[in-house]
Amino acid sequence: MKVTFVAWFRKNVSVVSSLAATVLIILVFQAMNPAFLSYNGLRALIYAMSYFLIVACGLTFVIMMGSFDFSVVSLLKLSALFCVVFMDRYGLLVIPLAISLTTAFGFLNGLLVAKFHVPSFMATLGVSIVVEGIVLYFSKGKLFLTYNEAFRALAIKEIFGLPAIFYWAMGIWVLSVFLALYTPFGRKTYAVGSNLVAAELSGVNIVFHRTLVFTLSGLYAGVAGVLYMAQLGGGSVQLGSDLSVPLFASIVAGGTALTGGVGGPHRTLLGVIIITWTQTGLQMMAIGRDIQMVIFGIVAIILAAATVDRKKIRMVK
Amino acid sequence: MASEKIPLLELKGVNKTFNGVVRALIDVNICLYPGEILGIVGENGAGKSTLMKILAGVLPPDSGEMYFFGTKVPFPRNPREAASRGIALVPQEKGVIPHLKVYQFLMLGNEDCFSSFGRLKIGEMRKTAEKILSELNIECDTNTYMYELPLPVQKLVEIAKAILTIRVRCKDTRITPVVILDEPTAPLAVEHRKHLFEFMTKAKEHTSFVFVSHIIPEILGFADRIYVLRDGRVVVSHNLREEKLSEEDIFREIVGRSSSEFLKRRESVTRETPWRVLLSVRNLSKRGSYYNVSFDLHEGECLGLFGTAGSGKAEIIKTLAGIMDFDEGEIVFDGRPLKKGEPPYARLKRGIGYFSGETGKELFLNWSIARNLSILNLEKVIGLGGVILNSKKEEEIAEKVMKTLKIKAPSPRAECYSLSGGNKQKVSVGKWMERKPRLLLLEDPTIGIDVGAREDIYEALLEMKKNGISMVLVSDDPKEYVLLCDRILYIKGGRIEKTVTPEELEKILREE
Repeated sequence: MKVTFVAWFRKNVSVVSSLAATVLIILVFQAMNPAFLSYNGLRALIYAMSYFLIVACGLTFVIMMGSFDFSVVSLLKLSALFCVVFMDRYGLLVIPLAISLTTAFGFLNGLLVAKFHVPSFMATLGVSIVVEGIVLYFSKGKLFLTYNEAFRALAIKEIFGLPAIFYWAMGIWVLSVFLALYTPFGRKTYAVGSNLVAAELSGVNIVFHRTLVFTLSGLYAGVAGVLYMAQLGGGSVQLGSDLSVPLFASIVAGGTALTGGVGGPHRTLLGVIIITWTQTGLQMMAIGRDIQMVIFGIVAIILAAATVDRKKIRMVK
Repeated sequence: MASEKIPLLELKGVNKTFNGVVRALIDVNICLYPGEILGIVGENGAGKSTLMKILAGVLPPDSGEMYFFGTKVPFPRNPREAASRGIALVPQEKGVIPHLKVYQFLMLGNEDCFSSFGRLKIGEMRKTAEKILSELNIECDTNTYMYELPLPVQKLVEIAKAILTIRVRCKDTRITPVVILDEPTAPLAVEHRKHLFEFMTKAKEHTSFVFVSHIIPEILGFADRIYVLRDGRVVVSHNLREEKLSEEDIFREIVGRSSSEFLKRRESVTRETPWRVLLSVRNLSKRGSYYNVSFDLHEGECLGLFGTAGSGKAEIIKTLAGIMDFDEGEIVFDGRPLKKGEPPYARLKRGIGYFSGETGKELFLNWSIARNLSILNLEKVIGLGGVILNSKKEEEIAEKVMKTLKIKAPSPRAECYSLSGGNKQKVSVGKWMERKPRLLLLEDPTIGIDVGAREDIYEALLEMKKNGISMVLVSDDPKEYVLLCDRILYIKGGRIEKTVTPEELEKILREE
């Protein structure tokens, strides 16, 4: 009995440590700030994590393959600002347009990486700069606001006391977990991340599959952007500009290795909770932004160190 | 005669246990005389590598004594200490660092002896490197990169590195250096092995070698004495200069049973006349690799591509698999021409599978056995709605395969990295058994695994052949051709020289 528990613990040490970190963070913030888990506090936490979770799920698939996608934050911005800037001209049609646009950029990422063998690190970084330029071009750096009730309801309409964006995020998360764990698509994604050569020789169309995953990541970023704009009701180029690091941190904290093949969207949920709730908790306590940044950076590193599954990941680069 | 001399090195009563359970070495006694080649043979997991690592200071033993010219000495605590006593190990794999130049690689770890005030004395390093290479008659430029050298030369350079390390570290010049070679021939082709043996036979005037291998004929060919290890114990030792032993004798000692049972069964596999042509290759050429290759492969036939390393056999099979492309010619599979530049997955769709003995190309080591088997057979494990993977089905398949191939693992959910080399290989074979491609390309299907596991794999392959799966074989083990093939193409310099039967090949090999 005791032995089996130890064995179980050893096997699931990274899940356990993610869970422990989550509980610890909740306890610490609750102790320091009783408003943390109040109704209003909880709403703030949910708003902070929902759009974030959607992007993170898409990005998790890319990281599971051992690749990077640095363009997701820019694509989220593109989608969000596209909605708000062109709302008056196209109405709700902006939603499918924005999402198609980011999906197309995701596809471009995929082509560059899978077909033309540009390292994903560089390809997606390049694409993200192009996208930033495009956003700056059509938004001209100005602040835009939207008053379209139907659009805003997508994110802020209350259902059973919680904002709609929460249900979107959870729905997309469940779908991602299902995709990753129970379908051939997910299995092939793990295969590519775990051993590219073996995957190719096992009949995975690696060019197609990698392109597909990058495209999917673009799609997720687009959806997240639309919902984020519906949540905020307005924004400028500044939107989401310091999202990159927390995003990668949340995925690693969840237990998906940057080297690929390990982890998955089911793990990312905890990572996202840990990271976004830490950030939000610090903001709620009205600590200066400087100190926030220092604390957050330290927490992110500790989390990454604590949750890396050393049994499965032999080498860390 | 040798037994009258004092042994250079002697190990007495060495024990080693891993994780408190696995007894890797049990009361092992061995000795080594100056100027001899000592062979260590045994199955995978018999304890050969562990013993060598203890000798070279990589692992500490649990108990035991070490004698050096009859004087008791402590075991070396690390490789550098071992080198200072004149012992160095050439590891089984991954010993070479490809992106270093030859002289940089030779000096790796010994830079402190070639620097002044933190600055490397490049000139002196190169001079020393050149000296040792010319002394050992290894022909290569010290300024080329390691990866540019052919595999056999890389191995020789590794040996030179071992000798050099001993010279640098060991102050006493009278001591005979001891070089331990752990499975050095695994990546080498037959004729390069010969080259290595000649090299060692010449070098044993001034160096003693401990040679670990599971390829019996090569050990019999040139070792002076051998120890047979089985399940962590020294079963028997032979003085090959005095005793005349056959392969079969050693085989029995290694495995603990006779191999004739299996060999007999092979004879009973009748070679029916194959009928339909499945694969037809016409005037296939790739510049620098092979030229005007033409052959037909019938259904249910196994065709061997026999030749030395660099003859083009590996390139031909890789071209068929879609890993390499061809320049000119035509490949027709099942009546349809194969397109140029088709990737492996497209070939697999047509029914052409590629099985390599390198587990790194076949397995996802962090995955369970069940998953490794199902990745190639996803359509078999798809259940509900055609999208959901059925894990129960997956495990059923895995259990079936584990039973037929005698894979030793606690459960189908055991992760593959925890398996032994032979069992890993069986998992790779298992996934192709389950897939049942129309044509299976085999490249070194049993490389680096022990005798017992080999037999199980041959059996599985012969079974697949019986069920009508065609095969093309490329291997470094000539016996494999005789065992598996119906027809063999003799390839030399990228061209097909002649077609021979397995019996004829056996004869050719014996004459050589």
